[in-house]
Amino acid sequence: MNAVLRLRRFATTYSRSLVAYAIVAILWIVASLLIGGFGAYAHLRYIVELAAVIGLVGIGQTIAVIGGGIDLSVSAIITVTAIILPLVTFDVDATGLGAIGLALLVAAGIGAVNGLGIGYLGLPPLIMTLAMATILQGLLILIAGGSAISVTNPSLDWLGSTHVLTISVSIILWLVAAAVCLFWLHGTRSGSLIFAIGANPVVSRLSGVPIRRLTAATYVVSGLCAGLAGLLLLSMNGQGYVGIGDPYLLFSIAAVVLGGTSILGGQGSYLGTIAGAVLLVTMTALITVVNASEGWRSVILGCLILAMLPLSGRDQSR
Amino acid sequence: MLGQGARLYWAIQWRRNEGLGALFLVLVVFAVIYAGLFPGILAVGAMAKFVQGWFPTAMVAAAETIVMLTGGIDLSVGPMVSLGSVVAASTMQGPLGILGGVLALLALGTGVGAIVGAFVAIGRYPAIIVTLALSFVLRGVALLIMPRPGGFVPPSLSEFLAGSHPTAAFLLVLLIILWKLYQATPLGIGLIAVGDNAEGAYRSGVSVTTVRMSAYILSANLQAFTGLYVAAQTGSGDPLIGEPLTLAAIAAAVLGGVGFLGGQGAMRGALAGSLLMSILINVMFFMGLPLVAQYVVQGLIIVATVSLPLIRTSLRRAS
Repeated sequence: MNAVLRLRRFATTYSRSLVAYAIVAILWIVASLLIGGFGAYAHLRYIVELAAVIGLVGIGQTIAVIGGGIDLSVSAIITVTAIILPLVTFDVDATGLGAIGLALLVAAGIGAVNGLGIGYLGLPPLIMTLAMATILQGLLILIAGGSAISVTNPSLDWLGSTHVLTISVSIILWLVAAAVCLFWLHGTRSGSLIFAIGANPVVSRLSGVPIRRLTAATYVVSGLCAGLAGLLLLSMNGQGYVGIGDPYLLFSIAAVVLGGTSILGGQGSYLGTIAGAVLLVTMTALITVVNASEGWRSVILGCLILAMLPLSGRDQSR
Repeated sequence: MLGQGARLYWAIQWRRNEGLGALFLVLVVFAVIYAGLFPGILAVGAMAKFVQGWFPTAMVAAAETIVMLTGGIDLSVGPMVSLGSVVAASTMQGPLGILGGVLALLALGTGVGAIVGAFVAIGRYPAIIVTLALSFVLRGVALLIMPRPGGFVPPSLSEFLAGSHPTAAFLLVLLIILWKLYQATPLGIGLIAVGDNAEGAYRSGVSVTTVRMSAYILSANLQAFTGLYVAAQTGSGDPLIGEPLTLAAIAAAVLGGVGFLGGQGAMRGALAGSLLMSILINVMFFMGLPLVAQYVVQGLIIVATVSLPLIRTSLRRAS
């Protein structure tokens, strides 16, 4: 009995996330039947590898959105990481791990500045992260100019090209990060307090929730996740340049919303974002198969997201 | 002797300046610095040029503010301006000339506004994701119409709008008057009421759907005609020219005290916010700061101006 109740509660809570999974499953099955080679293991693995970048940014974005905020600086942080890593990779550091650690530290540091502004100063998240994106954009032009910077970092190459039991390391990295994120959000006290802050910040503050520290923490996590995504992107591309992270801001927000997390905060799960990320990459891949021009690709993607809103994005309170 | 109604009106208007003090102060400081660095700005011709530079930002800030006052947000401002410029530059060489272009822009603005309105006002989907998805669509359509900058805006129109005459300044004054008139209509009053408390507005007889719908249509039209103005400035259409304006519009509105939750703020704040950013860019340009520093300073000023009132309130609460 208890199990049935739990199952029902699970289904109602995550019905929006489940919808996204259902769409992905249907798309994959139909596309594999219609398009030769789409259903091949290597191709599907490639789709999930691409989704891993969106998925990693999506971790931070999901947490920020659930906490009632949003992080518009993720694309800038991705670019910063992808450009800083080549600059701090030296021959002395044979494994390249030091450089990776440093790049992630910078990413988390940027997130911490966001967190200070939003959590402690009380700045609106949209404006703080937007301003941060503007500032970083300026600094990036200073550091990198218009040129692309290539990197040879052993650890990064390993991340981008190795397979363990035919599963890419990048996918494993995503799975581990996703598991940690899901455990934090749904299995710990501080995780459920993030939902509380997003649902009603005033009541949370009056109930003694350490709202400042937790809000700041969400943006540190978001910065760190964007940094990880930047590393992954760099490992796939081989070089970093200004603008490398730009598409991922919109993709991360779209993945969060398609996954059924309420943009108003307090509701949702990273489970849905995973499906949202895969869904976005699948749609992009399908549009590429149709061989449309850049204009059509953009139109189709936008229309698909709009068409999917009735399935996942409705918010009654507005 | 003022009547009671008039006194009440001015009292309310005055109260709406609250919280904008820091912004106005910073604005005056930078205006003085600007005039000090570059006294030539005080001449009519230079002033006209300055207003022309400011005008597109002011227009999109106003468009964003209208939507934000109802509790929404528009992330498709930039692509919409680009699409407007592309449509203007490709229709004005048609048989109907300038009139045809204006009609096409009206149709574009009303159509796109109605689509967003249908999703947000009737379908109750979050504006942030609707306009985000729409930005892809609009960007794509602009690229389909004009894959690279091109088209043609009649030189007479360019000269009229962005030439040596202070047309932009007059247009701005005209728009402010129109805004005041709009706010005197039931739809205009409803704008802030709906943003502040949709349920309450509905119970008081405001048609929430109509108010939101007209807000999105109005906003989209402003954006489409910003596209025309930008096209007139450059003499041609460009499918990507509007891109930076999305963030500029939101930043100007928020700088001006317009809140994300709706019902907070006023148009004057948003216009002041866009003016501040415009002056900043000019000052930094004349000081010969590299582009890098311009970005950084812009970001810092936004944070500083928004956080000043917050710091003051928290200090007041502490003492």
